[in-house]
Amino acid sequence: MSDTRETTAGSEPAPNAAPNAAPNAAPVRDYVAGLWLVVTLELRQRVRGVAWYVLLGIFVLLVAAVTLLLWLSTTAWETGGGAVFSAVIFFVLLLGTLVSPALSGNAINGDRDIGTLATTQVTLISTGQLVLGKFVAAWITALAFLAAAVPFLLFAVVLGQVSAATIGISVLVLAAELGVISAIGVGLSGVVTRPLFSIVVTYLIVATLSVGTPIAFALLGTATKSEQTLTAPAGCQDPATTAEIPRFDHYWWVLAANPYVVVADASPGVFDEYGNPQDLFGWIAVGVRQAQVAPDLQGHSPYCNSTGQYFGEDQLTAREVYDSTVPSWFVGLGIHLVLAAGALFWAWRRTVTPARRLPTGRRVA
Amino acid sequence: MDSRAAQGITVTGVSRSFGSVQAVRDATLAVPPGSVTALVGPNGAGKTTLLLMLASLLAPDSGSITIGGHDPVADPQKVRAAMGWMPDVLGSWPSLSVRASLEITGQMYKMSRLAATTRANELIGLTGLETLADRPSRVLSRGQKQRLSLARALVHSPSVLLLDEPASGLDPAARVALRELIRRLAGEGTAILVSSHVLSELDEMADAAVYLADGTTASAERVALAGASARSWRIRSLDPDTLAGALLASGIVGSETDHLGTLVHVDSEAAAADLLARLIGSGVRVSAFGPAVGDLEHTFLDLSRPESTRGAAS
Repeated sequence: MSDTRETTAGSEPAPNAAPNAAPNAAPVRDYVAGLWLVVTLELRQRVRGVAWYVLLGIFVLLVAAVTLLLWLSTTAWETGGGAVFSAVIFFVLLLGTLVSPALSGNAINGDRDIGTLATTQVTLISTGQLVLGKFVAAWITALAFLAAAVPFLLFAVVLGQVSAATIGISVLVLAAELGVISAIGVGLSGVVTRPLFSIVVTYLIVATLSVGTPIAFALLGTATKSEQTLTAPAGCQDPATTAEIPRFDHYWWVLAANPYVVVADASPGVFDEYGNPQDLFGWIAVGVRQAQVAPDLQGHSPYCNSTGQYFGEDQLTAREVYDSTVPSWFVGLGIHLVLAAGALFWAWRRTVTPARRLPTGRRVA
Repeated sequence: MDSRAAQGITVTGVSRSFGSVQAVRDATLAVPPGSVTALVGPNGAGKTTLLLMLASLLAPDSGSITIGGHDPVADPQKVRAAMGWMPDVLGSWPSLSVRASLEITGQMYKMSRLAATTRANELIGLTGLETLADRPSRVLSRGQKQRLSLARALVHSPSVLLLDEPASGLDPAARVALRELIRRLAGEGTAILVSSHVLSELDEMADAAVYLADGTTASAERVALAGASARSWRIRSLDPDTLAGALLASGIVGSETDHLGTLVHVDSEAAAADLLARLIGSGVRVSAFGPAVGDLEHTFLDLSRPESTRGAAS
């Protein structure tokens, strides 16, 4: 071992280093190589274990059971594969949101706890490569669950009535949503010092998005009221009526931030001849988009026309509502991407070295 | 090699606080290439904080640092390419083998896969981990993890080496091997800063010592004063009774005798030499006569004492 000093640092490149270590040789390729090294390390370190495969196996069994039961129950109603498909996608999203925080929520602070974060940070791996690498690894892990569920989605195609476009878009949006949760988990693991706490906070954020948004939407909408005056057209017997009506149209974006709504709204709407949605996704999309429609505050009573007859057929069909409104999934996914990018950026700020300000109780190494 | 003369480690007036706790204040030291400097100080003196700043992990509040000629705050990448750091916290990727850990670390320093594999093999031999090379690192004992940590710090053949408590947990043979390795690396031109509590060991491998107390490096004068202050000398005689009598006759009081010999307080090295001459002159058969503690330990203990009693006997 006489060659331990054959390299010297500084301006001259180390002789045993890779050729691409030269400055500016291929910065992008270099960056990606370092990033990928973190990803592979993370996958080897965190994922490769019996427990993970057991979890994946249980997941597949659950999806299989749900698919089978849905198929048996929906064929009785003769609605075909659409319902099965929607339900399986939602089930994958549900399990994905339950598993991802546990897999990603201790990526950075867990490393700090076992003392491997600082030893990585003194190498030429940058903080950006470290945070992004951990995010990509967490995302790949979550995507494994989606990949395991794909055979059951294809089952819906075999049943018919689900277009390839619907499946493709739903899977892509689902993948993006799993990425958002992974990014939030990894981001919080860089912000919060204790692993247990960052995992719990990630779960709380997932719960806020999944369960909190409908509650907030309902409360905000009903708390904000406007006065609506409906006057009867000439020739109609009814007096003018005044009522307080909830203004859900101010808060539709809250509901749009729900991951289930994003996935549902993103899939192309398929309607039957009466303008009614064919699957669960369609009904959700119509319901959410309905909320965009502002009520007419100075309108005519819709129940009576100038001939004095009462009628009620002036309602828009589901399809007409769907077609006349903006797709809300853009907004929802946009909110999610901002959250995810913000979490990763915050983690980067908190993890970057040399550290200037440390949160109370945190050690660098 | 002339360009390296300005390299190694220089620290000038560095301070760092955590909230209201001032961990390091006004630390100044220099480690030239090809030398080993010991960093000693009591627990909580700021040694690890100082090493974290040198390792480009923590930014100093004030003062300047250069590692291998580069500023760790302004240019951390250049510093990291030149510096190897062995932390006091033993962290290893638990499910990765020793070999895989070293290979991945090499690749993190932008080595090619082949170069990293070759280097990993060299380091496994160098640190004596051959039989454990393909075992996951979680099965390693503390001392073995310590060796893996040292190997990892050496992966990219750094020109500056920062070792935080490298000898803790090592068996005696491994300590000797570590000492020889450190001396050899220094001989090959590496600037090495070692923090340790095993002062007798540092005595044998360090060229210089930096004393850190309450976050401040002791000035050269204070170190010289502390080194020259009164210290204990251990005398062993074949005839303890005669020794006791001779000591009393020389006016030495307060000597204590234990199973290793008699401890006496003498003001200086010259006074010790005079005492030895008198003892021999009065016919005491002396078999051993020497300082009871090593140079570093003596200076360390004196500097660690509160200001009021420091060097009181001198």
